Amino acid sequence: MMASPYVPAPMAITRAVREITDVFTWTFEVPSGFAFKPGQFNMLYVHGVGEVAISISGDPAMPERLVHTIRAVGSVTRVMAQLGEGDVMGVRGPYGSAWPVDEAKGRDVLVIAGGLGLAPLRPVILRLLANRADYGRVTILYGARTPADLLYRPELEAWRGRFDLRVEAIVDRAGRDWFGPVGVVTRLFDGVPIEPDDAVFMCGPEIMMRFAVRELEKRGMPREAIWISMERSMKCGIGLCGHCQLAGSFVCKDGPVYRFDRIAPYLTVREL
Amino acid sequence: MDDLERVLKAHPFFAELEADHVQFLVGCAKNVRFRGGDYLVREGDREDTLYLIRQGSVAIEIHRPGSEPTCVETVGPGDVLGVSLLATAAAHLDCRARETVVALALDSACLRHKMAEDPRLGLAIAMRLLERTYERLARARLQHLDVYR
Repeated sequence: MMASPYVPAPMAITRAVREITDVFTWTFEVPSGFAFKPGQFNMLYVHGVGEVAISISGDPAMPERLVHTIRAVGSVTRVMAQLGEGDVMGVRGPYGSAWPVDEAKGRDVLVIAGGLGLAPLRPVILRLLANRADYGRVTILYGARTPADLLYRPELEAWRGRFDLRVEAIVDRAGRDWFGPVGVVTRLFDGVPIEPDDAVFMCGPEIMMRFAVRELEKRGMPREAIWISMERSMKCGIGLCGHCQLAGSFVCKDGPVYRFDRIAPYLTVREL
Repeated sequence: MDDLERVLKAHPFFAELEADHVQFLVGCAKNVRFRGGDYLVREGDREDTLYLIRQGSVAIEIHRPGSEPTCVETVGPGDVLGVSLLATAAAHLDCRARETVVALALDSACLRHKMAEDPRLGLAIAMRLLERTYERLARARLQHLDVYR
C-alpha cells in the first residue's frame, strides 16, 4: 500500500454517518483493496491539523471498503467531526497486532466490549460470523453509558436476532424506557456460560478491562485465554517514536492487541 | 415448610450454608410475588426485609424532582436486596419490579434475632452480606468513574 511508512495515501470520504453523540463513521472506497487484520489500526491525517490512530472497524472480507469509527474528543478528531463526504484525508497503515481469530477456532468465543471499544471488535465479530462453523458458542457482551450511547445499534439488533449468536447489552444508567439490564458489564457474566477454555476478546476503557479480568478470573478463566486491545498515545505507528511505549513494548507495533498475561504486569505500574 | 426450606437452600445467597442453619431460618422467611410496577422498597421507608430474588428483574432507582427516575442498577435471580438490614437504616433508593418478581422475604428483626442467638449463623450471614455489599460498592465505584465517557 505504502511507498514509505511515513507517507499517507490520500483518500476521499465516500460515506459519513453520525452514530451517536460525538461519534461518527467514515467509509473510504478503495477499489484496489486495503487488506487488514481484525484489531489493526490506521493513522488518519487531517491536512494541516494533525494525525491520529484510529482502529479499523470495517469488514476484513471487504478490503475495498475501509471503515473507521471516530469519537470527537481531541483537537484533531474535533476537526474531523466537521468533515464529510468528499473531503480528502491522509491514510497510512494498517498497523499493529490482530485478534487471534485462528487460534480461537474450535473454541467458544466471548467478546466483551465497553463504549467505543466495540469499534475495534467489530471486524473480529464480522470475521467470526463469516466463518461461524469454525467456532463454538459466540457471545457478545456490551456495556455502554446509557441506551443512547450504544454504538452500531441497528447492527446489534440484527446480530441479536440471529440464532447462532448471543448478544447482551447493559448500560450504566437508564430511564424507564430501557428494558435491558443496568449496571457494569461484568453483571452480564452471571447469565452466560464462561469456561476456562473459551477465548476472550475484550476492548474498552482500561479500568473496565482490569475489572472484567478480575471477574473472569474468579470464574476460572486463565489470563492466557484473554486478549485485550490497549490504547496509548500512538504517533508514528511503527514503533520508532516511543510515545506509546509500555515498558519494553510499543503499543503501536507489539499491540494494540495483547494476550493479557503478557501485558498484565505493566497495567498496575503507576508510571506507565 | 419443607418447600420453603428447599427454596432457601437453592438460593445462591445461602449456598453452602449448613443445613441446620437453613432450617433455623425458615421461620423468618416467606415467599412473595410482586407485579411489574410494584415497589419492593421505597426511599425513606424503613428497610425491614431482606429480599432474595428468585425470578424477575428489579430496578434500583433514584428519584429526582421534575424528571423521570434514573435506574442505576438492575438486580435479578440470585441477587439480594435490603443488605442494610444490619444497620436498620431507612431505604435511600426505590426498588421497583420491572416485571413479575418472585422472591423470598426474610423479616429483618427475625433474622437479626436468629443471628444473635447463633453466632455461627450470624457470622455466616454477616459475611455473605458483607461480600454482596463489597461487590455492589466495587460496581458503584466503577460506574461513578463514568469510564465510557
